[in-house]
Order: sequence, then C-alpha cells, then structure tokens
Amino acid sequence: MFYTIIEQVVNGIVSGSVYAIVAVGMTMIFGVLRAINFAHGEYYMLGTFGAWFAIDYFDLPYPVAVVIGVVATAVIAVVVGNFVMQRIVGAPAEAGVLATLGVALILQNTVILLFGGSYKFFSGGYIEPVSVFGFTLAEQRILIIIVGLVTFVGLELMVTYSRMGKAMRAVSQNIECCAVVGIDVRHIALWTFIVGACLAALSGVLTAPVNVSVYGGMGELITFKTLPIIIMGGLGNVRGTFVAAMILGIAESLVATYVGLQFRDTVGFATLMLVLMWRPHGLFSAQARF
Amino acid sequence: MVGLQTISSGAFAARSEDGTVRLGLVAPMSGPNARYGAFSMRGAQMAAKEINDAGGVGGRKISVMPGDSQGTPVEGVSATRRLIDQDQVDFIIGDVSSSVTLAMQPVVEDAGVLLLNAASSNPMITYKAGVGGFKWSFRNYPTDENRALLVLQYAAEKKGFTKYAVLSVDSDYGRAAIQFTKKYLPRFKSAIVTEDYYKEGEVDFRSVLSKIRDSGAQAIIMYGNADSSPIVGRQMMEVGIAGKIPLIGNAEFNTASTIKAAPKAMEGAIEAAAWLPAYDSPKSKAFVEKFTAEYREAPNNHAYVHWETVHLLAKAIEQAKSIDREKVRAALSGIKYDSAVGEVTFDDHNQARLPMILLEIEGGKPAIKGAYKAEIDYPK
Repeated sequence: MFYTIIEQVVNGIVSGSVYAIVAVGMTMIFGVLRAINFAHGEYYMLGTFGAWFAIDYFDLPYPVAVVIGVVATAVIAVVVGNFVMQRIVGAPAEAGVLATLGVALILQNTVILLFGGSYKFFSGGYIEPVSVFGFTLAEQRILIIIVGLVTFVGLELMVTYSRMGKAMRAVSQNIECCAVVGIDVRHIALWTFIVGACLAALSGVLTAPVNVSVYGGMGELITFKTLPIIIMGGLGNVRGTFVAAMILGIAESLVATYVGLQFRDTVGFATLMLVLMWRPHGLFSAQARF
Repeated sequence: MVGLQTISSGAFAARSEDGTVRLGLVAPMSGPNARYGAFSMRGAQMAAKEINDAGGVGGRKISVMPGDSQGTPVEGVSATRRLIDQDQVDFIIGDVSSSVTLAMQPVVEDAGVLLLNAASSNPMITYKAGVGGFKWSFRNYPTDENRALLVLQYAAEKKGFTKYAVLSVDSDYGRAAIQFTKKYLPRFKSAIVTEDYYKEGEVDFRSVLSKIRDSGAQAIIMYGNADSSPIVGRQMMEVGIAGKIPLIGNAEFNTASTIKAAPKAMEGAIEAAAWLPAYDSPKSKAFVEKFTAEYREAPNNHAYVHWETVHLLAKAIEQAKSIDREKVRAALSGIKYDSAVGEVTFDDHNQARLPMILLEIEGGKPAIKGAYKAEIDYPK
C-alpha cells in the first residue's frame, strides 16, 4: 500500500519533469511577449520529428539525433520568431492568440504533408528498465529527471546572473522602460522565443523513446497539458512552473491509480480551477487577489 | 423537370429483363476512409469477374454498381436510395462503417431489397435483423461481440485464465467490447479485477500498469488503437509485467512494428481477426495471390470480405435458381457456404456464424492458432 503510493509519486515526478521542461519555455515566452504560445506543443513535435528523421533516414545514434532535433527546431523557431513572434510585442492579446494558433496549424500540417499522417515508430533511446531503490524505471526516465533538474538550475542561473536573463526579466516587467534604457525589446523577444521552443523540442526528444509513437498531431495534447501548469505557476514564473508541473504530474499519477485512468486528463483543469479560486494569480504570485 | 423525368424513365427502361444480376455496392469511395472503399470495390469486382468468366450465376452475369457513402450515414442513405430507385438493384452489399449500415437498414427494409453486409462489426445491426425485426438485412462478418467472446473463450479454455485487468480505449468501440466481454464472463467463471479506459493519445500508462501488476490479473484485456500498443508494451517492460501478464483483445498486437517496439511484452499476446492475408487455407492463399497479381497490391481485410460475400450471394442466387429477392433471401437463410476461413451458416438473426482466426505471438512472430466460432446470446 505504502510502496504503491511511493511508486506512484515517483511516476508522477517523471511525468512532472517532462511537463516542466515544456512548460518553462511557454511561461518564459509569455513573460516577455505577453502572449500564450498555442503553438508550443508543435515545437515539442518538431524536435521529436527531427530526431526520428535522423535515426530513421540516416541511422544516426540517439545522442546525435537529440542535437539534430533541437537544432532543427531552433532553425524553424528563428524563422517563426522573425516573421511572427516579434510582431506580437505590444500587439493586442487577440493578435497573439490568432497568430500562434495559425502557426500551430501550419507547422502541424506541413509535417503531415511531408511525412504522412500515420504513426511513426521511434526506435532510439535507452529503454532498458533499471531498478532504483526497488522501483523499476527505464534508464531514459532517469535521464529525463536529470536533464529536467539541470535545465531548471541552468535557467535560474541564467535569469538571475546573465545579461540576457536580466534583460528578459526587465522586458517582462516593463517594455517602455526597457526601451528607454536601451534594451532591444524585439531582440530579447526573439531570443526568449528561440530558447523556449528549443526547450520544448528537447523535452520531445527526451520523451520520444518512452512514448514510442511519433505523429503530426502529438503537440496538441502537450499544449493543453502545459496551459494549466503555466497558469498555476503564475504566468511568467520559472520556479512556480516547476512546482506546478510536479504537482500536476503527481496528482495525475495518483488519480490514474486510485480513481481511474479515464479521469487523468481532467486533473489538470480541475486543479487549475481550485487553485484559481484560491489564488487568481497562480500559486507563486506576490498578489493573492486583485 | 421534363429532362429529369426523361432521365429517370430512361433508368427504368434500363431495368429490362436483360438477365443480369444487379448488385449495388455501398462503400466509402471518397472521404477519409476512401481506401477501405477502394479495397471493397476491388474485392467485389474481382469476384464478379471470376463468376462472369465462369459463365455467370445460372447463366446471368453479375454487374456491380458502386454507391459512395463517404463513410457518413446521410450519404450512405442517399447512395442506397439511388441504387434502389435509379439503378434498380436487387441486392446491395454495404457499408464498411457500422453507423452507415445501421442507417441503411430501414431503407432496404422499405424497398424490400436484400442487404448483405460484409464489413460492419457493431452487434446492433443483427440484433435488429431476422427475428429481431429487419427481414431484409443479413451480415456476413463477425461482430465485436463475436470477437470479445472468442478472445475470452480462447483465454479461458486454452490458457486457463480467470482473472482479467481491463485497459481499453475510452471510445464506443473500446467500451462496447468490454461490455460484451462482461456479458460472457460468467460462462467462463471469470472476473475482471481492475478496469481502466485510456483517452486516445495517452502516453503514460505506468500508474495503471503498476496497479495491474499488484492486482493479481492473469491477462490484460485491451481493445484499442494501433498507436497505443507499442507504448503500453514498453511500459509493461518497465513495470516488470512483460512476459508475465499477456495482452489479449484487439489493438494490432501482431504488427511487426509493435512487436519490435516491445518484444518481451507482446510475447503471448492474443488477438482475433476476421481474416488476414497470412491465413493458411488453399482458398485464402489463392485469393491473396490472384488479388496481388491483378492489382499489384496485397489485399486487406475489406477486399477479402467483399470478394467472399459476392461469391456467397452468387451461391444463394444459384440455389434459389432465380433472382427473385424472396427466393434468394430464403436460400441465404439456409445456405451452407464454404468460405476461406470455414463453413458459413446464418442464425435466426440473419447473422453469419463465422469463425474468427486467433493469433498468438510466439517467439516474436504472430502464430495462427486456428479458426474458432462460438454461439452468441441474443438479448431477450
């Protein structure tokens, strides 16, 4: 009984790590652009497709495929960033919604046109189960947890100490003042977007070995899992996103075990509603209420 | 208006006693399932050609007239009406999709045209036929209920399982299959110990699989999509139940890519199929060979069932010695037809008693364990 609970918490932490890496990119983009990136899951999908392409067509080893997946996504993100995302800065909220939804449709359908709509099989990665403290996990999942932690520590350091990170925080607080002191807002917006998209791609490539199936529509689900996480975490809040992702991962895991798998997807939005009733600005916002 | 009348009276004129058997084929010729329609049409046309080349049925040639259902009930019904009113068909084979077939049933009933379904699996179609109501609907295809029953029967009788975990897709198909399984659990003194349904696109099954591991289940009943099977298989390996608790049901366990994704988890998986190209009977092999030579493509299940059903109908017409619909219907009710998978007869619900082929994955390859049949309990 106790063992089962611990095991399910561990399962939850694993899925939480995946959510966290995707969500942190989305929340950073929101912080700077003030727009929810509805195409975020598509970069997750692009990263996975890039790696799948490298393995299936060129027989490259998995670590190389990870790099290719992330770099390919970065290239696409540069294009989308220049043509779409930069223009969202300062635009009304609905422009951001429409633009990112449009980008999602274009990316998804381009991939389906190029590679077909059928499910592809991802063959790379380290899927052998290993035993850790009596729990069996695929090696890949341990890798996911480690990469998740490293990513968050790295992001914290970057946001706190680097010039780019400080500029990102500044832009998310006040665009006009940034312009006055000479911060290139469009440049910062572009880079934040590229970093966010790459994180989503990284998360996609890391989970592909355990999720096995690769297909054009796989990003949608990720976008909708991520949305409640970034709202709960307090939009734009990196640390809050990490905690919210873990809460969601563990809650989902417990619900799947003790209530039923069919109720799993309701957990995210149900938790979100509860949190918003209590703290409308998210769990970690300084403001508790308007 | 005058023009229209001329056309339709022209159509009536075409329906002369020219001695052909006018057979309508309703199938999704366009839309997302167009591929199934194309296979169905090719199968039916190949059968018609074989029969005509051999001199026809009682000297009559069969002419197959297509009707496009687009896979939707609305289009299926208008295609059926067109076939009946304009093409003046006496017999209709169709549709692939169950919801279309269900909508076609009242139409053929009113017109008194014989409908012989070859590919829909919803049990309701023949619950409502024969003594159940519709006198003109027949089905020559195993139902989801047949499948659920046969899988359970095989697991209970050949493997000695009595405790099952359920992990099915959360859709009409996945839930209905479990409903039918539950209906027959008492017949095999078996029980379900855990029951979970996953949403399409679900990727994390670890929680539910650990629960199944601790539940004492001997097999996992899974009715679902092809894309979930490799994920479930890999995570079964992770939680340590691969090779211990087999998957049974229907979710393309026997495709090469699924087995490759999780060889240890798929070992011992049991699946029931209406037909598959690898089935080893002389008639089945000959069909696959001829179809592949004719169309340069291996046949799928839909091609086979439509090919077989045209032959079945031809035999009924031959036995009736007439194309009179009532006589053909009577002949069909009492027919004994040797199909490529075994003998076909119809029960009082106009449902074919069809064998299904049972497959078990052994040594990383699907092994055909023979064709089985079982009697359905109709709701009273």
